[in-house]
Amino acid sequence: MGNLNQIIIGVILVVSTGIYGQNYKFGKVSKEELLETAYSLDSSASAAVLYEDRKVEFVFNQTENSFDLVTEVFKRVKFYKKEGFKHATNRISLYKKKSKEEEFKGLKGVTYTLVNGNVIETKLKKEGIFKNEIHENRDEVRFTMPSLKEGCVVEYKYKIISPYVFNIDRLYLQYEIPIKKLEVSFESPEYFNFKKFTTGYLPISLKESSKNGKITFVSKSRTTNNNVSQTNYNSNDLDYKINTYSISSSDVPAFKEEPFSGNPSNYLSSIVFELSYTAYPNSPVKSYATTWENVAKTIYERSSFGKELKKITYYKEDIDQLLAGISNEFVKTQKVFEFVKKKMTWNKRNSVYTRDGVKKAYQNGTGNAAEINLMLTSMLSYARVDANPVLVNTADRLFHLFPTLDGFNYVIARVKLPDGSIQYLDATDKYGEPNVLPDRVIRGTARVIAKNGTSQDIQLRPQKPSVNNYRILCEIDEQGFVKGKFNVIHLDYLAHDFRVAYGNKKDVDNASRIQKEYEINELETYTIKGMQEYGKGVSERFDFVTEDQVELIEDEMFFSPLLFLKDKENVFKSDERKYPVDFGYGFSNKYMINIKIPEGYEVVESPVAGVFKLPDNMGAFTYQSNYVNGMIQLVVDETINASLIPAEQYPVIKEFYNMLIEKEGEQVVLKKI
Amino acid sequence: MQKNTQLILVAVFLCAYMKISAQDNFNFQAILLDSVLTKNADAIVRSEAVEIVINSMSSVSVRTRRAVTVLNKSGEQYADKLERYDPLIKINKLQVTIYDAVGKEIKKYKKKDFEDRSVYDGSSLAGDDRYKYIEYIPTKYPYTLVFESEVDRSSTAFIQSWMPIIGSGHSVQKSTYKIINSSGVPLRSKEINFKNFSIEKYTTDQEISYTMSNVPVISYEVYSPSYLNTAPIAMVALSEFSLQGVDGIGEDWKTFGKWQYDYLVAGRDQLSEKTIKKVTQLVADANSDKEKAKRIYKYVQDKTRYISIQLGIGGWMPMMAADVDRLGYGDCKALTNYTKALLDSQDITSYYTVVYAGERKRNIQKEFASMQGNHVILNIPDEEEDIWLECTSQTTPFNFIGDFTDDRDVLVIKPEGGEIKHTKKYEPEESTLDTKATVILSEDRSISAVVEMQSKGIQYSHRYHEELKPLKDQKQHYKKYWSYINDMNIDSIELSNDREDILFREKLKINATNYITKAGNRLLLIPNMFNREDTNLPKYADRKRPLVISRGFVDTDEYLITIPEGYDVSLPEKKTIETDFGSFSSQLEKVNDTQLQFKRVLKINDGVYAKEEYETYRTFRQQIKKIDKSKIVLKQLQ
Repeated sequence: MGNLNQIIIGVILVVSTGIYGQNYKFGKVSKEELLETAYSLDSSASAAVLYEDRKVEFVFNQTENSFDLVTEVFKRVKFYKKEGFKHATNRISLYKKKSKEEEFKGLKGVTYTLVNGNVIETKLKKEGIFKNEIHENRDEVRFTMPSLKEGCVVEYKYKIISPYVFNIDRLYLQYEIPIKKLEVSFESPEYFNFKKFTTGYLPISLKESSKNGKITFVSKSRTTNNNVSQTNYNSNDLDYKINTYSISSSDVPAFKEEPFSGNPSNYLSSIVFELSYTAYPNSPVKSYATTWENVAKTIYERSSFGKELKKITYYKEDIDQLLAGISNEFVKTQKVFEFVKKKMTWNKRNSVYTRDGVKKAYQNGTGNAAEINLMLTSMLSYARVDANPVLVNTADRLFHLFPTLDGFNYVIARVKLPDGSIQYLDATDKYGEPNVLPDRVIRGTARVIAKNGTSQDIQLRPQKPSVNNYRILCEIDEQGFVKGKFNVIHLDYLAHDFRVAYGNKKDVDNASRIQKEYEINELETYTIKGMQEYGKGVSERFDFVTEDQVELIEDEMFFSPLLFLKDKENVFKSDERKYPVDFGYGFSNKYMINIKIPEGYEVVESPVAGVFKLPDNMGAFTYQSNYVNGMIQLVVDETINASLIPAEQYPVIKEFYNMLIEKEGEQVVLKKI
Repeated sequence: MQKNTQLILVAVFLCAYMKISAQDNFNFQAILLDSVLTKNADAIVRSEAVEIVINSMSSVSVRTRRAVTVLNKSGEQYADKLERYDPLIKINKLQVTIYDAVGKEIKKYKKKDFEDRSVYDGSSLAGDDRYKYIEYIPTKYPYTLVFESEVDRSSTAFIQSWMPIIGSGHSVQKSTYKIINSSGVPLRSKEINFKNFSIEKYTTDQEISYTMSNVPVISYEVYSPSYLNTAPIAMVALSEFSLQGVDGIGEDWKTFGKWQYDYLVAGRDQLSEKTIKKVTQLVADANSDKEKAKRIYKYVQDKTRYISIQLGIGGWMPMMAADVDRLGYGDCKALTNYTKALLDSQDITSYYTVVYAGERKRNIQKEFASMQGNHVILNIPDEEEDIWLECTSQTTPFNFIGDFTDDRDVLVIKPEGGEIKHTKKYEPEESTLDTKATVILSEDRSISAVVEMQSKGIQYSHRYHEELKPLKDQKQHYKKYWSYINDMNIDSIELSNDREDILFREKLKINATNYITKAGNRLLLIPNMFNREDTNLPKYADRKRPLVISRGFVDTDEYLITIPEGYDVSLPEKKTIETDFGSFSSQLEKVNDTQLQFKRVLKINDGVYAKEEYETYRTFRQQIKKIDKSKIVLKQLQ
């Protein structure tokens, strides 16, 4: 499933060793807990969860004759500093539909403060609890704890009863604040079978066992004998097995976001239960997701996927006209792709299924990811190009390790051309090109489905780094002003990201962005080429004068030969890192710079050549300089090949950038002859 | 670029010509637009018509029809697609119609097509404001969106103002505003910033109307006046009105303030005997009212936190002081009223004060009494100078309002009536940053330094929050603050917030392995290590609006730099710049053979300067920047 899982899944299941000493019953807050002034393992914590017990279980509902999913939460939170008070306000989201809604019950909360050695309890009352309808399908209960003081402890518990038993929320085992002791359990009757997976870099100790459960059905029947009516009550017992899963952990550190994280939520400690099949007594087994193959098949068989793919009448005429007289499949693909990109505007909705349907989307010119890319796939197939849909799980979502119906939320297209080459296409992206896909797609995971329903994992991250080619040709005058021509070509993903960022900006705005970024005094004839010419790079060029790059001290001149292109700041500032650096794609900045030095000066010092490399061919830096006929020639290459760099290599990448910045800051010294 | 747009527009026009001739509705074609309106525009308000009918003191109907041609993505914000409401607002009609470039209708949304949402406020615990909206995904630009709504409100305290210009990306082809008052209650109005615009006005006893046509885009420029101070606004208010079911009166600030006091503030200040006793004890040995107030403020800060609850009249009326006392939280109104109640219990007079809060200064309109402001603070009149308290913060020092509510007109609500006062202004000399450092340079290109900073005034308010962050975040902050020092390591951070003298002290020990660049036998370095100019002001070929520097400051730097032995340095000349906007000096002196002293002073004066001055100001900051990063050379003695 690509290399993301290999890097992030380093989870070891450890046998649990519970440490008990505190009393973790509601109301049993100890004086020691109230007296504590800082969290012992992280003095910077403004609050900490002292204890949390979260139980998720299935409870049989006699009235509805079905199971409810009941979540019970009990939390004890300590506040060390005022900054932590925000963790005393809670929001609980409740899903609802016309027929069924989730129910929030039994909220009880107490704030404990120590005043002159006495524990004062303040109860959470109705005035601190609010329910708000966010929209048609969602209510939100919000509550905040009363009478907070630095040092106080709050406790609260509540219950959520949900008729939506198939969706078990991800169970978080780590928060923004540290957790001292956490107990999470999940119990499900044997009729429901779940697959589970964990996320994050912390070890998780999961215990599995089973116990017996019983449902008593009471049925009523009326009999009439000799005009005497009688009501009979019958009770039937159903014995069944309950599978239990429990996690107990202690001293869980707070989670922190770092730059270049991709989707940090993938690295947050949690456990996910996903329904794989149901097996009710006397009913056949119903499978939800056993293999990825099955998942893909199930999706394919849904009418809002498979059937939509087969519709052709709505575009037939347009495509016939578009492709009249064209037989080359490469050209056909290009034409159809550009046609859909131009015609359709993505409504920013990710989906694996169509909503209004391809036909209506086509008429309106807008649609979700499924509508646009199934349309594209269908048109290509119609044009006899070998095209198939690709299911994608986008980067903003949790990365799924095991097969699940919820494992995909997006669709793109794959084309196989006669020469054996493969093109991935996403027409939701106005700046998209074959094999240049939006970030949400390349950082995700994907699976291609063939016409016969079979499927296969695929890797969408580009295999080779994208390149920026910079060129400067300039001269330095006696005042130390640098005057010259600048030219850069952004290629592949760098071109794509450039178009996304600046595609609808005016030239003047782009010019002032450059002027600001490079601190150029005078900038003229700024031009961009290739903004609309997909498949090629985008180039920017301009003439410049910069007054601040060269330092004149007495009869000497000093400057970095990379001028305003030198890297100034290392983005990696943290001392350590717990999860990988995710660049999305590899990249390479190549510089070629020619500087003519002023008449009457000679080079007395210049930086020596240098090369350094990251391990495992993850990246390299080379620096070469040369002085010929009054011209300094510089060739520099900064390349990161790996789009993902594992956490254990963090010190290396940080040092790489330190060295790079240092090297690029080295000075040329010119002296008056 | 402008040329290109026109070329594209012509092309659309030609292709679409046949279609145009078949159209009935030419009104909203967007291809033949006056260049006066399209220049620099993201959107054009084609025609805006707001008609307000005041039926009675507790009933007002507002009819809006607004047609906006959106020229590009940035113009989306000017095309209304939503209507807000609460339990006392009834939406009768809601409709959006979309027209393509040639003016052909392509989509229509009726009221039932609108989605209903709660006004999601991240910091709010509860609120009953909601809105109805549609999401329209444009497939092509330009397009025209016509928004129509008819709304009945029973609150007449806020009558929609006329603001034909609401941003820097749109022009206005036509905007009309008409208000018909059939309530019998006198209607007052105030015209603001009308003088640079040609506005047709029509007034009778019962009617006021304004029309403005063909106003080009007023482009955004940095350091320019707020559009609230330059764009036309007409404010209206009834002398007798209703606010969420509460009747009100007000002709001027005095009477309006009196009503606010009597109906919204008074009588919400009862406290339990126990609390009063506690406070009395707390201030027993304080020898002045100011000292007492200070202790009470600290008491409030320790006891409460900010939680927003806005339900019905609760959006304007503070929670009972006793409830805040019990719960330990409240919004700005509640916490201010609570502080006031505690002060009252000690016979210290203080006033509930309405203000427009925010870094960008905004006045309560002195000359027009109406419901204004978005925040509440507390005013304590003191012998020499007014005391201002920000009651929602647990960390702000006593009588420190920082850039959140400084230097602006506010409404002070007294039992006898309202009064406009001006909050404290921080002069440049009061907003200072002193940076002192001792630095050791090594031949191995590393530096180590002890840096001490002291900040006051507005600069204090920008810095003192650092103390509250975890160490890891503090480290990140300083690494960013001195981002130009590569591979900087922080050995220690000591921060102390002197809330008494309102002074923040930062002391850091740092080192950096390669701060110095080596070139042969020379060591190169920038002596200004800890305070470099980083503003980057854009150059305008034709600056249109005055230069506004809203707050001044003074920075002083003094570093003692020890250089490695066996090196000589040639000292740069002392640089000084004097301008109307402030002054700058930078100098490096030899203390002895191995020690140098770097000194720098930068003072910026606040003020409003003519638009022609902008370029001089830009050059001034540019020069500073250049001087701040100039290097010195240490040469090895042979």
